[in-house]
Amino acid sequence: MSLAWLARRLAGVVLTFAVIVAAVFGLLRLAPGGPFDGERALPPEVEANLRAAYHLDEPLPYQFARYVAALAQGDLGPSFRQKDFTVNDLVARGMPVSATLGAGALVLAAGVGLWIGISAGLRPGSRRDALLMSIASLGIALPPVVAAPVLVMVVAVFWQLLPAGGTGGPAHYVLPVLALALPYTAAVARLTRGSVVETLAAPHLLTAAAKGLPQRRVLLRHILPLALLPVLSYLGPMAAGLLAGSVVVEQVFDLPGIGRYFVQGAINRDYTLVMGVTLVYAALVLLFNLAVDLLYGRLDPRIRLAR
Amino acid sequence: MHRFLLSLITLLLSATVAAELRIGLGGEPSTLDPHRYNLRIEETVLTDLFEGLVTFAADGSVAPGVAESWQTSDDGLTWQFNLRRDARWSDGHPVTAEDFVYAFRRLLNPATAASLAYFMYPLANAREIATGEAEPHTLGVQAEQPHTLVITLAAPYPYLPERLLYPTGYPVPRHVVERVGDDWVRPEHWVSNGAYTLKDWRPQEAIELARNKHFHTPATLAGATYVPVASAQNAFNRYRTGDLQAIAGFPAGELERLRAERPAELREAPLQSAFYLAFNTTKPPFNDVRIRRALALAVEPRVLTHQVLKTGDIPSESLVPPMVPRYTPPALPHANLPQAERLRLARALLADAGVGERLEVTLKHAAGIANKKASLAIAGMWRQIGVRTRLHQAELRAHYADLRQGNFEVGHAAWLGEANPEHYLALLYSGTGDTNYGRYANAEYDALFEQAKLQADVAARHALLAQAEAVASADYPVMPLYAAASQRLVSTRIRGWRENARDVHPLRYLAVDP
Repeated sequence: MSLAWLARRLAGVVLTFAVIVAAVFGLLRLAPGGPFDGERALPPEVEANLRAAYHLDEPLPYQFARYVAALAQGDLGPSFRQKDFTVNDLVARGMPVSATLGAGALVLAAGVGLWIGISAGLRPGSRRDALLMSIASLGIALPPVVAAPVLVMVVAVFWQLLPAGGTGGPAHYVLPVLALALPYTAAVARLTRGSVVETLAAPHLLTAAAKGLPQRRVLLRHILPLALLPVLSYLGPMAAGLLAGSVVVEQVFDLPGIGRYFVQGAINRDYTLVMGVTLVYAALVLLFNLAVDLLYGRLDPRIRLAR
Repeated sequence: MHRFLLSLITLLLSATVAAELRIGLGGEPSTLDPHRYNLRIEETVLTDLFEGLVTFAADGSVAPGVAESWQTSDDGLTWQFNLRRDARWSDGHPVTAEDFVYAFRRLLNPATAASLAYFMYPLANAREIATGEAEPHTLGVQAEQPHTLVITLAAPYPYLPERLLYPTGYPVPRHVVERVGDDWVRPEHWVSNGAYTLKDWRPQEAIELARNKHFHTPATLAGATYVPVASAQNAFNRYRTGDLQAIAGFPAGELERLRAERPAELREAPLQSAFYLAFNTTKPPFNDVRIRRALALAVEPRVLTHQVLKTGDIPSESLVPPMVPRYTPPALPHANLPQAERLRLARALLADAGVGERLEVTLKHAAGIANKKASLAIAGMWRQIGVRTRLHQAELRAHYADLRQGNFEVGHAAWLGEANPEHYLALLYSGTGDTNYGRYANAEYDALFEQAKLQADVAARHALLAQAEAVASADYPVMPLYAAASQRLVSTRIRGWRENARDVHPLRYLAVDP
């Protein structure tokens, strides 16, 4: 991998990020309503005072310049609605919760998904393949918005085995992680299976078998690296998405992560909060994609050479 | 030694089963600065953290707070509040009249950007200060003595004590605010003068309160936690697992079952509130009183509350909720008419107005099962007089934005709040601004309303207000429907909980059985 390639990729990341900053800023201001609409209507002079306090009375380019200047120093600004906290504060408090939830789901989805996918893919058409794949199809059909309330109702409310929501210990994460991981596990499993089946048909595997290489070695050295490529490009954005929190799961389980801020911030027109969590998410996606690109080179010599 | 061990064990045991109270809060407060708050959920927490000149009694009525007594001048313009000597901030500092002067000026100072600053507009010069036309020190409030506060009003306002119940009337610890600025609301700097003080606040997770040991009447409960919940379903789940001991909302569909299965835990109470239909009086054909009258006649509030909603709401023919004291609403022109007669009259009015059976109405309502059910039922009632209704539903915020901008024909509206008729009848005053959604303007109504506002005597004031309502009721600018009920689930372990029309439940009156 050349340094020039890395520099080009990094420049692309920075440029994409800049475009996202501008686009989100513009889109938010286009939404109707404002951050100060509450349960009670405000007299115009009071609303004017509020707008002045948050610099919303300035022309948009000024506001944008002010935002970018602060952003350059890592300051995401004050939250319009959570007035006692800065956006940095809220993200710093919410991120560990979202990251714990996401990492749990990621490990579960990747681990179980790969295992199912590989064991089904190695014997395509077998009874085990059929069984595992029908379970996986079911998993894909159970997004968290369905799975989470069912898990709460059955495991927490009826059996009273685990907490129904909130925080307080590892037990509070079991159901959320399960609900979040389910569809991802199924997706990883299906993707891995397909990829393994395809790789098995490749000519160099015939060579490997003909050379009399042990099966284990064939699997680890020749099948998996190739078969995992498509899975890896799926896992990158998936990891970013999982770590940035899940709107639905955090909502259903009352978890204080940053996922909830996407919806709440948008409904409340909390411009800075929505900007903040969106930019954190965008940064994660960009970084994970870059990481996947780097890993690609390590797994597939053809890609390494092309750079 | 044995005795020591034994007492240690009992101590440990009692610590582990110590009555802990966790209360579900229907959302995350946007601030705990009493001058910057806006939402009811914030009011709930602030009521426990601060004490104003007056405070809530356990039944939601006005009780002496930091002020142990007060007197009014004959013209109703000057109010003297006598402060209790043992009022203390949670750091031991005395609470003085100066603290209130500082707080009220801070509230109205435009730099504070207090969204509810207008709650204190009855004070002399308040509006001028909020608009930047006068300096904060010109506000009608003085500390005559360290424990004597004198408030001067712009016009008589007999409901001042009730108005002072809102957090906008709470003091803030000047000695802390001036030292640490806006960070004073952080738990590490927190100082307040209520029965409780802020121990910790983890956004979206918990607001932990601990007893204020300097409070003049120490509370029974050592502490409590408000737990923000993302939805009524979450609250209900967490209540059923025992995680929360009291919740404010549960899924609407559960009510019937809860009434049957958990009657001891279900606390229902009518809420001081007005739910009504607003007619846009500037938009043809709704500028025609015959059309408005016909639509109003066809609606039966009692059918709505007792056969459709069945959530304990109280039908009301007046815009002023029935539980508002010392107010007798005027007899309405259509009161006591049998329904068949009302419908016949309504059809005749429509024919007279020249629309016959061709009238189409768009009825706007906020999202929510109850709103939807009520709107569907109203559409059904209008069908009986040949009116076709299109329902239009929008998210709460968008719905009220539409109403305020006059972007509607007929709109479902709600007004919550106070125990005085003026609070509700102001909605029909032409000078009120955009919360007079239908832009109703009647010179006679306005004159009576303005005259009422000059009366210091409550009886005289309310008599004029009733006259004003009688004038308006002939014009049908609104169709009053009902006062809604509040429903809560409260564990039977909690003692001291009293349902009330304001739906307030200060922690200081509660105790929890282990």
